[in-house]
Amino acid sequence: MARKPKKSSTKKSSPRKPRRRKSGFAFPWWRLALVLVFLGLVYVAWLDFQVYRQFEGKRWALPAKVYARPLELHAGAELGPDAFARELSLLGYHLVPSLRQPGEVSRDGTRFHLWTRGFAFSDGDEPARQLRLRFSDQRLESVEALRGDDPVRLLRLEPLQIGAIHPARHEDRLLVRREEVPELLVNTLIAVEDRDFYRHHGISLRGIGRALWVNLRAGGVVQGGSTLTQQLVKNLFLSSERSLVRKANEAIMALLLERRYDKDEILEAYFNEVYLAQDGSRAIHGFGLASRHFFDRPLAELDAGQAALLVGMVKGPSYYDPLRQPERATRRRNLVLALMAEQGIIAPDRLKHLQASPIRVVPHRAQSSNRVPAFMDLVRQQLRRDYQEADLQSEGLRIFTTLDPQVQETLEQSLARQLTRLERQRGLADKELQGAGVVTSVAGEVLAMVGDREPHAAGFNRALQARRPVGSLLKPAVFLSALEQPDRYHLATLLQDEPLRLEQPTGEPWEPQNYDKQFHGAVPLYQALVHSYNVATARLGLDLGIPAVITTLQRLGLDQQMRPFPSLVLGAVDLSPWKVTEMYQTFASGGFRVPLRAIREVVAVDGTPLQHYPLQVEAVVAPEPTYLLTVALQGVVREGTANGLAQWLHPRLKVAGKTGTTDDLRDSWFAGYSADHLGVIWIGRDDNQAMGLTGGNGAMQVWGDLFSRMSTRSLEPQPPEGIEWLWIDAATGLRSEEGCPGAVPLPFIRGSAPQELAPCARTPVPRPLQWLRELFQ
Amino acid sequence: MENSTSNLATRTLLPWLLTGLVLLSACTTMPRQQPAPVEDRGASSPHSIPQRLPEDQQVTISPLEREPVAPATPLASSAVVALLQNAEQQQRSGQYDSAAATLERALRIEPDNAHLWHELGKVRLGQRQWAQAEQMAQKSLRLASGDRLLGAANWRLIAAARRGSGDLAGSREAERQAGSLR
Repeated sequence: MARKPKKSSTKKSSPRKPRRRKSGFAFPWWRLALVLVFLGLVYVAWLDFQVYRQFEGKRWALPAKVYARPLELHAGAELGPDAFARELSLLGYHLVPSLRQPGEVSRDGTRFHLWTRGFAFSDGDEPARQLRLRFSDQRLESVEALRGDDPVRLLRLEPLQIGAIHPARHEDRLLVRREEVPELLVNTLIAVEDRDFYRHHGISLRGIGRALWVNLRAGGVVQGGSTLTQQLVKNLFLSSERSLVRKANEAIMALLLERRYDKDEILEAYFNEVYLAQDGSRAIHGFGLASRHFFDRPLAELDAGQAALLVGMVKGPSYYDPLRQPERATRRRNLVLALMAEQGIIAPDRLKHLQASPIRVVPHRAQSSNRVPAFMDLVRQQLRRDYQEADLQSEGLRIFTTLDPQVQETLEQSLARQLTRLERQRGLADKELQGAGVVTSVAGEVLAMVGDREPHAAGFNRALQARRPVGSLLKPAVFLSALEQPDRYHLATLLQDEPLRLEQPTGEPWEPQNYDKQFHGAVPLYQALVHSYNVATARLGLDLGIPAVITTLQRLGLDQQMRPFPSLVLGAVDLSPWKVTEMYQTFASGGFRVPLRAIREVVAVDGTPLQHYPLQVEAVVAPEPTYLLTVALQGVVREGTANGLAQWLHPRLKVAGKTGTTDDLRDSWFAGYSADHLGVIWIGRDDNQAMGLTGGNGAMQVWGDLFSRMSTRSLEPQPPEGIEWLWIDAATGLRSEEGCPGAVPLPFIRGSAPQELAPCARTPVPRPLQWLRELFQ
Repeated sequence: MENSTSNLATRTLLPWLLTGLVLLSACTTMPRQQPAPVEDRGASSPHSIPQRLPEDQQVTISPLEREPVAPATPLASSAVVALLQNAEQQQRSGQYDSAAATLERALRIEPDNAHLWHELGKVRLGQRQWAQAEQMAQKSLRLASGDRLLGAANWRLIAAARRGSGDLAGSREAERQAGSLR
């Protein structure tokens, strides 16, 4: 019945007809027939065009997939066994007693056996491998192949997908190739949905007959006569309305599709197109994604029961939803299993056992695109410079980012934990405090970002968008400006911490105070930074000239307008945590400005690399002043405003950092770095009211919690060639000697150190010891 | 990735319309098209990294420096050595982007390895990114301040980068620096 247009095209016998009486009256039937045939052909051609265009010209709109960094495994890697286990669990590896297939791991204390899944990176395939890994406390000691004794020098696990870029409501799928679909699944699908699939040409009379017979006997519709091809056509091209016209179109298009494409191509399309579940605003299409969604396994790892469940769901994805309707889904699965046994797909003696086993689906997880909303903001922001939003939503790009899921998780937890603790400790209301944080590597890769204490809440991203006064966080730029002039300043230069009053350009008087409301008299320059003395810093800033400080800030990467008010040197400038990170990155990277990157590479759907975001550096501060500043910032942690970090960090982990506090204790900041990592934390209230926390008792606590849990190396900067260490009398800033009371060792740029000797150093050393002393000088 | 509509029309509509117009009496044969490129992901890239390279392969000898860089600053872990060897090979065959990506991967493992920064500088030089070539060499210099051989190699790299960018005086100065380190 549905074949009319097609039939008409085959019985075109009109030109042969000899009976052409020129009787002028007779209606030209054959012309009408010709016209009809012609129109019919045009219509079929139109359908063919549709089939062709949908199937070939255009692929499915595929959201861009965003990946975290892949974990690198090699002997000596700073990675503890628990962190490793956590990574595997994020990647959905299954803990088993012994390995049977990829995606499984077995653990015995600090020893692991692992069967990796492999991944096609743009610079080469990482094959699936069976490995033996041995850890010590904080280190991966060895990686070996399980079979044979090849040492494995280096490998990458597959990267965790952390998000996708797509329209608000969207279809999602994980495309699979025909050869990736296990035969078990193919055979089951054919047995259930279309037994004649390999014999028919798009529509199956036998199938229709069988369905008719079954339906007649049942007195209602229990079985459809549609072939897989027809189902695919319906999903791809047609609405779901039930009408004869649609049925006819479906049949024609099914025939056309079969003419153009072979069975495997049609099957592949079917496996990817079929709708199987709804996850919020995300429609789960295709077996590839459904397998991930329900079982957290790739398609190739499905067992018979799981295959039966998925195939059974084709008939009614929401009716047989195993999450909401487990009993129905089980009945349906068992029906399919019975069919599989009948068709010889599974051994009949296994049927009972399989039918008796419960369905196991993974508990519903938060949708992956919401996992790290703050970081995703940053990724989108960096992508927008180079890509159209529409391409990101549809071209299936793969975006490899710098996110370290473990650092991210640690940052999220540290922030939430410390904010809750601070609120309780200070009697603040629940959720009164907010916070944000950024962690980068010294090479400028953004490893983690949090813009809200509820890390999965999308919305106002404080890390990127909240601009707050930075307070003392700005001081290092002032001191750096000074240390870059070794003929005028060194770490021991005495600054006057004495009352200061002057008029701003606005006419308002400006009278900086110290946090302790005291004045400390003459203090060596490094002490002023270590204890964050405001008045001494203000005097230094005025001495240098505010424009000079602004030039330094610009060199450090601050591109915004800054008004040259004296209060600038005490941090009267609004910056986001992100901007602060950019500024401190230059300190952490040893005087090199490093553009922060959240993306390493963008790869097309076929694996071709599209864009690499390279590591770039630019020397903006000479090595010597950078070194002096880092030593002073280490002093802040050792003996200054950040000495409270000692309660968090291992004594051998040396770091450098600076606290920041603003007027009335509205903002609490901490920025600090180790040899590998830089972290910036901000805490405050969204309504910008006072909350009573300094940088030291607020943000620094989060930072300490964070860095105590991260695997990071101690900061031991090597002095550049132009540096000498000398003993200085802390009180007077004069040259001293080891052993003199109040003498401290300080680094100086060669030739800049004070020459005058402090009293103790002037005392002549008893002669017998003089030679010894000279030996050491 | 998409065929233009006109192309589509010639490939699908046109044969049909022609068929219709001549009204062939017999059933026409439809052109069978190429297989549908439904999915094409996960294809491996043309240059995959070999898993193991010969152990005796020399590390880092470039036309820029005659004498090999003595590893006064240790070349450290075997993972990094493996990556260095890969990068070297990629660089030799002119795959500078891949070489840079490989070296960046190594730098993530050992961010303070002065040799890696030097190698990255050489890759940038090959890419004619003169400014970055010099900056990478500067970074390497700063990390290996006691290593005279590597220092000299870095200054020669800087000299070459400055020559490339047309700064001849700067280049001579860098050569002089390199000479002073011998």
